[in-house]
Amino acid sequence: MNPMIRKELRQRMRERRGWVLPSLYLLVLTGAVALAYFFKTQDLFGFGGLSEPQGAEVGVTVFLTVAFTQLGLLLLLAPVFSAGAITIEKEQRTLAGLLTSLLTSADIWWGKFVASLLFLSLLLVSALPVLGLTFALGGVGWRELSLATLCTLVILASMCAVGLYCSSYFRRSVHATAVSYAVVIALSVLTFVVTLLATWYWQQEAGPMKTREEAPDYLGYPLLLNPFVTVAMVFVRTEEGYPTWALSLKLFAALGCLAAAFALRNLERGGEQV
Amino acid sequence: MIEIEELRKSYNGRPALDGFSLLVEEGELFGLVGPNGAGKTTLIKILSTLLPADGGRARIAGHDVAAEPRAVRPLVGYLSDVPGLYQDMRVSEFLEFFADAFRLPRGRKRPAVERALERAGLIERRSAFVEELSLGLKQRLLLAKTLLHEPRVLLLDEPATGLDPLARIDLRGQLKTLNREGVTILISSHILSDLEDICSRVALIAAGRNAADAEGRSVLTLQAVESPRVSCDIEVVGDAAAAAQAVEHFGGARLVEQAGNRLRVELTGSSERAAALLQHLVRAGIAVLRFDSRGPGLEERYREAFRGQRP
Repeated sequence: MNPMIRKELRQRMRERRGWVLPSLYLLVLTGAVALAYFFKTQDLFGFGGLSEPQGAEVGVTVFLTVAFTQLGLLLLLAPVFSAGAITIEKEQRTLAGLLTSLLTSADIWWGKFVASLLFLSLLLVSALPVLGLTFALGGVGWRELSLATLCTLVILASMCAVGLYCSSYFRRSVHATAVSYAVVIALSVLTFVVTLLATWYWQQEAGPMKTREEAPDYLGYPLLLNPFVTVAMVFVRTEEGYPTWALSLKLFAALGCLAAAFALRNLERGGEQV
Repeated sequence: MIEIEELRKSYNGRPALDGFSLLVEEGELFGLVGPNGAGKTTLIKILSTLLPADGGRARIAGHDVAAEPRAVRPLVGYLSDVPGLYQDMRVSEFLEFFADAFRLPRGRKRPAVERALERAGLIERRSAFVEELSLGLKQRLLLAKTLLHEPRVLLLDEPATGLDPLARIDLRGQLKTLNREGVTILISSHILSDLEDICSRVALIAAGRNAADAEGRSVLTLQAVESPRVSCDIEVVGDAAAAAQAVEHFGGARLVEQAGNRLRVELTGSSERAAALLQHLVRAGIAVLRFDSRGPGLEERYREAFRGQRP
């Protein structure tokens, strides 16, 4: 076993957040299930009877709420675990010891990556029973559960790789974490805003007779890198052609590989920063 | 064992090393002194494979540090100027991690960790967290970690910084023992008395280049070699004026300082000349109370070389 992985996991599980975070995380997800179920099934505004929700509808709503909440929480946590992973070695002056040992830059990177991703995966797996509750309501099957989990995992791996790149580039954890969050926000919010603005502009140009559905495909390309859209696409079954979620996953994987390659290059030159 | 030829390294166009050369023989305990910013830390980082040089060549045990870092690392133990520790690890875990990082085979790992614990005097505290150790014990742990893989060369950058006098004495003792065991040691330090005590030779470095003392030597031999100059501290009974006059008539002697009944004289020549001066004073009827002669110390030679620059 890579000694870095053993060291990282040991240190991580010794921290208070090793047990505080999973507890809080599950509490928030449980709250999300309860709220989603409550809002979907209760007639809050006194118009009951007009559109009584079906069980499958409630199932899909609860599933998506939990999947999105989970993704949001994990996207917030990914920079915490990855962006500080290498900078902390610089801050506590231990990176020189690693770089002058027989560990390669790839060993160091891989140890940090696996440790970050394993902790996030632990949270992801611990929430599976909560997501599985929606099986009882209908509308959601093993396919959706597996694909949503797979998409979340690949997105998180990619974000961890981006966090590690920032960590290898900056000297201070605070800077690396800030830039990692900027990337998460750019992918989650900016892609959405850019698509909305581009569609609105296209509609203005095309005239009032054109609807959003008629907008050219390329306007939606930024959304391929939106984590939330990627998970939502699991519910869209395409009869022919490549599924959109799969294309998104490839893009996230490519982003992760690129970040890993640059992080390794930075680690090779890490002696400048110790 | 360590060959450095015309080594160059710049940071943003500012040279840190500017053609520094050095040869350290196998089994030497070699010191490196120079003012702040002289390039000592950069040199040691290059030798430890942490930094690439811009030019020149550095070899350890025949391996080029830039071209063969994977061959150099098992041979070298490196202790940086501000070394870090994993404070939240136990002492034994810390050593086991670095034993794994140096790829010690399973059969060698356990004995190596035990030996390191013994060397650091931490057998009793193997389960303690690193953060609980005193600064001196942490330094012992770091040195023990550096020696886990039994390197042939030790590169130490200011290892005594921040240590109390007892810990410094302890560190000097450890380094002497290691050197006797055959480990070649290159040590940079600001504490000249420490270097004078343990090193056989010291190189002078300034502005990234080889610096020289008043006699034009860039590498000073500190032990078992006669110096061409002797400094004499003389104390006489009564006024020292007559003694000062006698000194002025002694060939090769120069009166450096006179205060009360004390004189400081610098002599050109070896310790035999100092004995001759003593005889000369006694023959001149001077009542000599004390006569100490010694070659110029490292501090004195450092002052001559760097004209008061801070080490």
